This record gives sequence, C-alpha cells and structure tokens, in this order.
Amino acid sequence: MEKKEYDAVILGGGLAGLMAANIVAAAGFSVAVVSKVFPTRSHSAAAEGGIAAYMMGNSDPNDDPDFMSYDEVKGGDYLVDQDAAELLSKKSGEIVSLLDAWGAPFNRQPDGRIALRYFGGQTYPRTRFIADKTGMALLHTLFEHSTGFKNIEYYNEYYVLDIVKEGNNVNGLVAMEMKTLNPIYLKSRALLIASGGIGMMYKHTTNSYINTGDGQGIALRSGVALKDPEFVQFHPTGLYPSDILISEAARAEGAILKNNKGERFMAKYAPHKFDLAPRDIVSRSMTIEIREGRGFEGGYLGLDLRHLGKKYIIERLALAYDAAKNFSGVDASEEMIPVRPAQHYFMGGIDVDTTGTNHDLNGIFSAGESACVSVHGANRLGSNSLLETVVYGRETGNTMVEFLKTHKNVETNSNVEPIIDAAYAYIKRETGEHFGVLTEELRDIMWDNVGIFRDNDKLAEAVSKIKDLRVRARSMYVTDKTSNYNTELFNALETRNMLDVAYTMATAALNRKETRGAHFRDDFPERDDKNWMKHTITYLAGDEVKISYKPVTYTRWKPEVRVY
Amino acid sequence: MKVAYYPGCASHGIAKDVDIATQLIAKDLDLELMEVDDWNCCGGGFMDDKNEAVHASLNLRNLEKVEKMGYDKMATPCSVCLNSHKVAADKYENDPVLKEDVDQRLKDANMEEYDNGVESEHFIWVLIRDVGIENIRKHVKRPLTGIKIGTYYGCQLLRPSNVMGFESAFNPHSVMDLVAATGATPVAFPMKTACCGFPLMGSNPPVALKMANNILSSARNEGSEMLVHPCSLCHLQLDVTQDKIQRQFKQDWRLPALYITQLIGLSFGYTPKQLGMSKGSIEYLRSRGIS
Amino acid sequence: MEEKEITVNIKKYNDKDGAFWKSYKLKADKYTQMTEVLRRIKSEQDPSLAYRASCHMAVCGSCSMKINGIPSLACRTIALQAVDEKNEINVESMDYYPGVRDLITDIDVFYDKMYKVMPRLIADESVLMGENEQRMTPENQTEVWKFQECIYCGLCVSACPSVKEDEQFLGPAAHAKGFRFIDDVRDTKKSERLDLLMDSAYRCTSCYMCYEVCPQDVQPVIAIKKTKNYLDQYKGNTPITIMARKHDDTVENLIETTGKIKESTLFLKTFGFGEAMRDAIDMLKSGKFKYAFEKDSNVKNMNEIKNMMGEKK
Repeated sequence: MEKKEYDAVILGGGLAGLMAANIVAAAGFSVAVVSKVFPTRSHSAAAEGGIAAYMMGNSDPNDDPDFMSYDEVKGGDYLVDQDAAELLSKKSGEIVSLLDAWGAPFNRQPDGRIALRYFGGQTYPRTRFIADKTGMALLHTLFEHSTGFKNIEYYNEYYVLDIVKEGNNVNGLVAMEMKTLNPIYLKSRALLIASGGIGMMYKHTTNSYINTGDGQGIALRSGVALKDPEFVQFHPTGLYPSDILISEAARAEGAILKNNKGERFMAKYAPHKFDLAPRDIVSRSMTIEIREGRGFEGGYLGLDLRHLGKKYIIERLALAYDAAKNFSGVDASEEMIPVRPAQHYFMGGIDVDTTGTNHDLNGIFSAGESACVSVHGANRLGSNSLLETVVYGRETGNTMVEFLKTHKNVETNSNVEPIIDAAYAYIKRETGEHFGVLTEELRDIMWDNVGIFRDNDKLAEAVSKIKDLRVRARSMYVTDKTSNYNTELFNALETRNMLDVAYTMATAALNRKETRGAHFRDDFPERDDKNWMKHTITYLAGDEVKISYKPVTYTRWKPEVRVY
Repeated sequence: MKVAYYPGCASHGIAKDVDIATQLIAKDLDLELMEVDDWNCCGGGFMDDKNEAVHASLNLRNLEKVEKMGYDKMATPCSVCLNSHKVAADKYENDPVLKEDVDQRLKDANMEEYDNGVESEHFIWVLIRDVGIENIRKHVKRPLTGIKIGTYYGCQLLRPSNVMGFESAFNPHSVMDLVAATGATPVAFPMKTACCGFPLMGSNPPVALKMANNILSSARNEGSEMLVHPCSLCHLQLDVTQDKIQRQFKQDWRLPALYITQLIGLSFGYTPKQLGMSKGSIEYLRSRGIS
Repeated sequence: MEEKEITVNIKKYNDKDGAFWKSYKLKADKYTQMTEVLRRIKSEQDPSLAYRASCHMAVCGSCSMKINGIPSLACRTIALQAVDEKNEINVESMDYYPGVRDLITDIDVFYDKMYKVMPRLIADESVLMGENEQRMTPENQTEVWKFQECIYCGLCVSACPSVKEDEQFLGPAAHAKGFRFIDDVRDTKKSERLDLLMDSAYRCTSCYMCYEVCPQDVQPVIAIKKTKNYLDQYKGNTPITIMARKHDDTVENLIETTGKIKESTLFLKTFGFGEAMRDAIDMLKSGKFKYAFEKDSNVKNMNEIKNMMGEKK
C-alpha cells in the first residue's frame, strides 16, 4: 500500500480547510488536502448571501464589534460561547481585508470600498457579499491562492476511511483513491477535520449531495466527541420542490413571505424583525402556517419579490432568480417563489475550543461546519457560517503551526489493515442490506422525527430506529464489485458515517428537555436556563451514546428573553 | 419585397461569387436588395480583437445607415458580418462601460446614439421566414435530385444562440431545409456546427487548415458529394483553400463547397458559371450532368 | 403533481466492458432535475451507475455531461424539458476528456490548463502587509466578477475545437481566469500575465462554442478578445503573435484608410509574398483570380470612420 508522510493532513477542501492549508503552508510545513471532490466542488460554494464583518471605517457609524457579538449570542439563544463569538466579531474585519487582498471580488460602493447589506438577526448591516455567490467566490479565491504553494498537495477524489491513532496521538488517516479504490496511508502528526455538514441524512436539505458527515463519523469512531449535535438549522426558504436554497439575501433585499391568504404572516411571529427574524423562528412560523392550512397545495408558502422590480432582482439576486426560474419554472418578477423550510446547517460538531483544538486526541483539530467552537450556539445567524470558516480556519491554522513546531511525527507506522479490510468487506459480502434502503429510511426518520418540531415520542422512536439501522448496516453490501470508480462503495461508506452521526444527534435531542434555538420541543416549549444552559458532549461507544456536559462560557451578556 | 442588404467586404472581393449568386436568386424571388448606403467593413472577428469599442462603433454605423434608409432589418449573406453586428449591438445594450466609449465615438463622428432600431439578419433567415420554403420550391426549375449535399452551418450563424436567436445552436435545420427545397438530398454530419478555422488563418494557419479538413472529412464520411455553407468567409476557407488542405494533408480528394445561394441558383436553372463558381465545383457538377 | 414516464438512455463505460448503452424508465414531474433522475436511477435501479454531482444548483460544476448531445450541467437540465417526442433522453460523458467510468471523465487536463495561468491575485506588498487598503470601482468589480464566475465545470474545454487540435492553446476557461486577473486593478503582474496568455489567445478561433455552452454565462471568448486588445502593450514576440500583429494591423489600416477590407492586400501583408503567391496560383487554378481584382468603392464619408476609430476614450 502506498504511504506518504506530511506535517499536516487536512480533510476537506472547503473554505475552512483551504484557509488552514494556506496558513500552515505559509509557515513552511507540508500539507496534504484530502477531499472526495475537487476543492471547488465543496459545499462552501453553495453559500450565497454573504459574510458578516465589522470593518473599521467601513461600517454603520453606530455599529461596533460588541453589537455583532451580542447579535450572535442572542441569535444562538445563549448557548454561544461568548469568548468565541467575541473573537469571531473582532477578527471579522481583518479577515475580509485578507480575502480582499487575496483577490476576492467583493461588491463595491461607488467610492471603491467594500459594500454591505442587512441580514437576518443583525442590529446593523454587516454582510459583505459577492453578488449572491459569495461562498463560491471565496472558495475559488482560497483555492486559487493555494495554487501558489508548492508544499500543499491535493488528494482530490480521495475518500477518507478512518483516522489513524497511535496511543493517544494522531498518526494520519487512511483514504482511498476513488478512481482505482487503491488505499493510501497519509501519515501526519496533525489532522484537521474540515469536512462540512451532514445534510444528506435529511429528506429535505439545501445541502450538496456530498454532505454526509464523513468527518464527524470518523471522529466519533476514533473516540472524539461531538458537541451539541441536537442543534440543526432549518432554512426558511428552500425552493419547492427541489429544496435548493433561496438565499436569505432575498429577504435582506426586501422580499416578503406570504401565506395563501396573501398575508405577511411574519408580522404575527416577529413584530419587529418580520421576515428577517432568525432562521429558527421563521422556519417554525412557516411550519405552523402550513400546518394550520394557510400554505399552498403541496405544502409551501410564497416568497414575494415582485415589488423589487425585475432589474433590481436580476442585479442583486441573480442566483435566486435563476434558481426559481430553472428549477421551479417561476419568474420571480411576476410570481411568488414557492418555498418551504429545509435542513440547512449543523450547529453541532467536533468539540473544539477557540483555538480549533480538540482535547480527546493529541493532534486533532477541526474548523468550519464540521466543528463546534461554539459560535452559533443553538441557532446560527445568516452570514456567519462563511465568517466562521475563514476566521476559525485561520485561527486553527495558526494553532496547528504552533503544534507542528513543538511536536514530531509519531515514529512508528500504525497498522492500518483493519481500516482497509472494513471498507473492502462491503464489496466482498455477496448479500445483505443495500445502502440505498438504509439511507432512504434514515432520511425519513431524521426529517419526521428529528426535525423542526420535536417531542419525546418522536425522538425516542428515532433513537431506536437508528439503532436498528446501525445493526443492519453491519451487513451492508454493494452489488458493484469493480475497482473502477466504484461510487456504490463510497455511498455505502457515507451511509456508515451518516448513521453514526445521526445516532448521536437523535440521542442528544431526546436528552435535552427544553426548547432552545433550533431545538424545539413541543413537550418542553420553554428555554430552561437553570438546567440546560450547558453544552452536550457526546461520545460514541459501540451501540451506546455517552452524554456529558460542558459549561457555556460567559463574558458579558446575561441570558434574556429572545424576541425579535 | 425590399430588404436592406449588407454584402460585406468578402462578397465584394474574393468571395464575389457569394454576392453574384445571392443577387441572382433574390431577383427571381422578388426580393429587392437595397445595398446599405456607404456601408463600412464591420471588422467582424478581427476588429473586436483590436478594440471592442471601435468594433462596436463600426457596426452601429452600418445599422444607423439602415435606419436612415427606413428599414428595421438588415440582411447579410455572411455569417461573420451577421455575428459581428449582432454581438456588437448586444454588447452596446448590456455593457454600460463599453456603451459610454462607443457613444463618445459616435458623437465624434457626428452620429447619434444608437437606439437598437435595426435587427441584423442572415440572408437565409429572410429566405426561410419571409420568402418561405414552399415559395422557393416553386421557383425550382431543375431539381437537384440525387445529389448528396453536406449541410454545414459553421459557428457564427448559430452562436451565441441567445444573441443570434434564429435556431438551436446544436440542432439547426435552416440549411438542411433550404437544401431539401432544391431537390437535393441533405446530409447531416457530426461536425456541421464546428468552426471552419478561417479566423485562425491570420495567426495559426496549420491548425486553421486542420479544422477545415475536419469539416470536409466529416461531411465526406457521411456520404456527401458536395458541401453547402452559409458564410462568405467559410467560402474562402472551404473552396479555394482546399488546394492548400490537399497539400498539407496529402489528400487525393476534394469536396466542392458551394455557398447556399449558389446551390439554390443551380436549382433555379442558372449555370455554374453564371453563379461564379470555382473550376473545381464546375467540373464536379459537370460530372454529375449539371452545367 | 403530474408525472410522466420517461426513458433515460445512458452511455455506460467501464474498463472491463468498454462502452455500452443502457436504458432506464422512471417517472418525472416538471421540476425533476437530471441530477435527481440520476440519483434515483442509482438508488432504485442501478447502484453501479457512476456520475459526479454535488450542489445541484449550478455553482459547483460537478455534473458536466452531454445531454442529447449538448454539453450541459445535469442539475441545470429539467428532465421533462429535455425529452424528445418519444419521452427519451440520451446521456453520455463529455467529449475530449478520457472516460473513467460511465459519466465520469478524467478532467486533469482541464485543471492543468487552469494552473498554467497563475490563477491567483498578486496584490501589492503594502496591501498584503495591511498598510494599504485596496479600492476597486463597482464597474471594475462587475467585469472581474463576470470572468471569475467560472465554476471549473470543464464543459467549454470539452467542446472547444481549438483545444482538440492545438495542445498549446490554454482553452477558454483558463483564458477567462487569466484575463480576470489582467482586468483586476488590484493585481500587480499584468505583464507576466500577458506573457502567459497572449500567444495562446491567438490560437482561439472565435467560434463562440465556449460562450454557448458555459452554464455561468462567463463568455470566455470575450475574455480572449479582451486579452487580444492588449496586443499593443505586449512586448513579447512569438511566431503566432508576430503574424497576428501583421494581420490585425493590416485590417485596422485598411479600415482606417478605405473603410473596407481588401482580402488580397491582407493576404499579401499577413503571409508575405511567397505564401500569397501560392494563394494566387490556387486562385488562378480555381478560376477565381479575377475576384482578387474586384474593386469595391471606398467608404465615401471616411471622416466618420476616422473619427470613430480615434484613440480609446
């Protein structure tokens, strides 16, 4: 088997991974970036609306970073670690300047400075944007910047199998070249997991097909904890019926949600912020409207852009306009866009501190959606995911540089054969369960039972069903026996990861007996700060999810009632 | 019916036969071709490489002349001239920075801002839409029955389709419909919409000739005896230039290439000579009993 | 929602069996994207079907393939809009790139071309040190963004006739990428970039195929033409650019002095006496030599032409 050695291996070629890769490589260390897709295909590309930033001298004169942190803390329903939020706000301006220096073509004001606009949950406008393809433009910027480094090697279309450990130290990972199914052992003392989200385990998701929780899955199997996995964001405006994201930018630019009576129903649920209330609130309100019969046939609501005028829509919301036109056959300048909530973001993730370090395993780091720092708490605000990927991508990159300076690669090679055998077992097995059946069942369970509205019965059922699916997955097999870009095998491996992650999510959701942010319990509809102002920490131990807690870090904001 | 007519430099130069044939069949079809007053070269394919604003200005000047003549359409037999005028008008409408530059140039030349009042069209669009295939068929005195004609479209007539607008860029049938009207058998071939390579003749002739040869070979492989195309510059590339291609690729065959109105003219009863054809084409047609 | 049964014919390929067509029947409604069609075929009928797909919203550039012979993104293609009168759709992998498995091709050659154009902004040192901020007009941003919108899908290169015949041509996407940096006021490497791009630009045949197939409306051919606009500022010389310079200067000169092009003069000035004579002999043989002396009238109002062609405003 092929073996290569690097200082650092980075799993994931999205924004967080590439930012860290650029930082680590600039310090002179060798980096391997491993991704199951070419980096520009990463899900970061799908982020539309923008990146929030307080920029000194180029922000609302009344704004300051503290307002921004406050918005994050309140938006996240006080589960946010406030030191993490403050760091995020403080570094937001300089990170946007850095992206600008690396070539990101931000939209401009007439005087040539970077333009800005409002997004949901913001006290003052802070969102910087590149048309409505901000994520794509930033991803390309970071990827293209990285092509200037000779010490970054890309393993594109390599699928990660598992983390390699030696005692309590990271000793690299094992991946498989997708084209040939040849395994490769990439040895390193530092491993960054920046593999993005988990959306494909939900029936309705705005996420890419590739978002299957691979990083979280391999972390759990290596004894690394997930923090707050019960917190999943549902975006209010998934396009009906394809669930393609219609960016929050649409509402930021003035679009209005309407029910089948033509009412601006958000006035009822968020009398101050209306349609720009945080996403958990808007998604729940929409679900109530639909549930109570005020949706359109098929179960959707209308997003009305018509009053903005065709020219403005095409100029500022090109992607939303095109998406509605191409994927729902609706001309948004003449008709309302049909929308419904869909899974969008995973607030939970690999448990790391504000330096991006995980403390379960020596040498393991995480950043971006796969990590939980936590800056988003119980609900993420729009424009903060891109910000998190680059700010914490850089913080973590810097942490890794320090780590690499003071640590040496583990001398011995670990025995990685069991990892490879486990993957090949799916091909060798002639009968058993097929990944397609298991995945579809999982997607239904997660959507129906671990969705926007939750309760004890639904969650208990979910836990038991997923437990059963995990047992069945042990006899998973693939019909395609070739080693020639066998995508069926990778789908099976993805299913294994999704099941492991889903199991912790459902268990943690059942465990948290309160409502907070995106975690809404019909049976416990109030926030319970006395008992639940704490992070859930979950470990996967065989068939069992072990739950413990960590305190939330406070700096200056006391919990208050969350109204918008 | 009167039609504003932009012949283009090539058809008034070494592709004169394009103009000759077009004028002949237009007369038969009661199309009065009104040559654009004091027209200038559109610079198609080259001037925009030098300077986009100059290129656009040159094209808009022609369109303004057409407007002054009282027409809202301008027909040209040349796909490159067509593409040039259409793309220039499109850029002028959609690129405010370019428009500013162009407007200044028009002003310097004592001309007005262009109000997009004239549509550029290919002569074959006029034939199909205004004259009509049935009507053309009525004028056929000598059906070209049994002759297999490779129907070639090339690039500039079709692309970009959102600007050109007449037919699908991938499944066009205008040339095929016209060929069928003459009684000949149209032959579709894989490379019917590929580029003939002419634009590369001014910078990279070996590759240009290779592309031309690809077209000819593809048509021949599908059984074509001759090739018909809709463009003055394809005509330069595929007709006389075949001698060069033969030399470069050491080929012992030729595929005579006609401009579309030359083929229509043949079916209307004109002789190959009257239609200004090259010797190779004349000889081949004679061998097929047509003179 | 109303559904229709469709037949999807897919050209499959693997190392062992080579290429073969296989048909699948399934139901689709008026919103069903081809990516969803493929996903359902894979999960319900043929798990071995291999294709790439990620974002299903036309920003990741994964699902490039030929649908009914047209280079397309599967996600941008709605099944019921693509079917023919028999409700069939043909799907195959992109041209040009070596096949790997079914709809998956190896597009490394595409990436290699992208890497060749130094696809990254090199800002001024003072900006990188944080001492200076960069400004950029909204107009400049708009143009840069237009050419930056490329999603690396590879469709333009798969359909480009010049790329197939000329290894030294960088291809449409790389040119759009390269020009995006030439055009960016924040970049400091304009002359290096012209060195990388100018020769290749004149290997483009301006056939607008890239413009046609680009799912992002990047219009790479326009980027190539805009690059050629810098020929006067370009200091280098290659056989290609020397010839192009002669040719284009002659065109410009002819238009400036007569308002029209005389192909015979153009041939003579571009190819030189020897080659032009060979052309003349070909013309003689063809009986078309007489056309070389066709003398069209010059434009009468040459003042209009001259004033329009004046310096760049």
